[in-house]
Amino acid sequence: MVILDHIQKIFHRNTPNENQALDDVSLKIKEGDFVTVIGSNGAGKSTMLNAIAGVYPIDGGKIILDDVDITSLAECKRAAFIGRVFQDPMLGTSPSMTIEKNLSMAYARPKNMTLRWGLDFSRRKLFKDYLKNIPLGLEKRLSTKVKLLSGGQRQALTLVMATMKKPKLLLLDEHTAALDPKTALLVNRLTEEIVHKNNITTIMVTHNLEHAIKMGNRLIMMHKGQIVMDIKGEEKSTMTIPRLLNKFEQLQGEKFAEDRVMLA
Amino acid sequence: MLQNLFFKSLEQGLVFGIMALGVYITFKILKFSDLTVDGSFPLGAAVAASLIVSGHSPFFATAAALLAGTFAGLITGVLNTKAGISDLLSGILTMTSLYSINLRIMGRPNTPLLNQPTVYSLIDDFSKNVWPLFPSKHIYLLFFIIFALFVKIFLDAFLKTQMGFALRATGDNPQMIRSQGVNTDLAKIVGLVISNGLVALSGALVAQYQGFADVGMGVGTIVAGLASVIIGDSLLGERSVFVSTLGVLFGSFLYRFSISLVLSFRLAQASDLKLFTAIVVIIALTAPRFKQSLKLPAKGCESYGNS
Repeated sequence: MVILDHIQKIFHRNTPNENQALDDVSLKIKEGDFVTVIGSNGAGKSTMLNAIAGVYPIDGGKIILDDVDITSLAECKRAAFIGRVFQDPMLGTSPSMTIEKNLSMAYARPKNMTLRWGLDFSRRKLFKDYLKNIPLGLEKRLSTKVKLLSGGQRQALTLVMATMKKPKLLLLDEHTAALDPKTALLVNRLTEEIVHKNNITTIMVTHNLEHAIKMGNRLIMMHKGQIVMDIKGEEKSTMTIPRLLNKFEQLQGEKFAEDRVMLA
Repeated sequence: MLQNLFFKSLEQGLVFGIMALGVYITFKILKFSDLTVDGSFPLGAAVAASLIVSGHSPFFATAAALLAGTFAGLITGVLNTKAGISDLLSGILTMTSLYSINLRIMGRPNTPLLNQPTVYSLIDDFSKNVWPLFPSKHIYLLFFIIFALFVKIFLDAFLKTQMGFALRATGDNPQMIRSQGVNTDLAKIVGLVISNGLVALSGALVAQYQGFADVGMGVGTIVAGLASVIIGDSLLGERSVFVSTLGVLFGSFLYRFSISLVLSFRLAQASDLKLFTAIVVIIALTAPRFKQSLKLPAKGCESYGNS
């Protein structure tokens, strides 16, 4: 259970560039929920994920994860129970280290500062079995440096790393936005598979309305730092893109303007 | 003469190689330009020499030197991560303050170790008791080979642990390792502590090897360390940690050997050495660039190399 309790985030406070990125956002996410988040540029989607992950402190409100107040917990401490995949495929892995070493760091999380051997026979076997579930052939390339992988392979690997130790919450920040449509589809499928199999509470930000509607069991639309739409259950499963845009126009009295949104 | 030169360079290359292994941790693993070493190297020498002169066991003195070095690294690490001072400046600040501290420790600019016991003389005596035919002439070479390799293997092993992985990832992609639950500040501090510990250890061994500790002996340590790391890197490449650290020791030897050659053929005088060192580092750093531009004759808008 994730609770965002009236969280506020203001960038460049007291300057001409002051920007209220999150304006009194409250949200309750049940365990096992898969929430997709859409919204135009500057709506506050990524800010919300970064606030939950602890990238920066928030200016008001509380963040509660499984009855624990994590509002003032450091980013690296939250990593013990929050898994993340970023938009940039370069960010989620250590490029000049091998696949197996990257996996080892994910497997050891959060106890990474110990003097235990990072790799041994049983771990290598475990990682190999783990990668066999992904149709990318990575299980044969355990000792390949990650910088030699494609963007899609890296995102798939980052996803595996983020979920290897089952997190209490998985944050996906447009994790397929930088990939070609075919690879994006593959990574999305993998995402659904892993999330469902392990029943992981997930928040996924996306610019792709189709993905947002098809994936997950709850859809949130953000606008100017606020949550303006929250669709669950049957309404979510029967939602279509035209109806979604229609609903937004009714709610806001303006057109959903977003050149990066892909309609199909 | 060349043979004598070779063995002398091998001795020096190995004992200074321990310092270069320390530089390898900060420069290569953490990508942290740590200038503390110019202060922690003479710190190790000063601590060891002062303790030996005041009658302590050379082994205890050497261990104390190592500990003092780790403390210097800790200061730089805290200045950088907790006080938010840049890596270069925090190293410079520690190095500068160490100059005064080293003078305080020794009480004068120079501490000779004439007729004092050293780790080498003690090991030599011990070995001769056990085995009368022990080749005392080669005590330094034997000791340095064994000890430098021991440090190398220790470092290799450390970099294969979970903590070693975390340090490597901290230099490679700090965002990633933070999202795996590692406090990158702590990882940097651990790296700096180990690095400067090794540098001070090397300083202590060098002081006992050359028979004195001098407050000015640290000048240019970082450049010599970098030269060793870069020479090793360009000759052996970055295939694995095992090869890289071996390359550092080999680079250190080549560096000392080329200096000895230049001096013995009177191509330069001793006072030109620092200039010579800097030029070696510049050549080693720019060599990959030249190699690239030879391979790729098409001139574009970007310069190649230095990825």
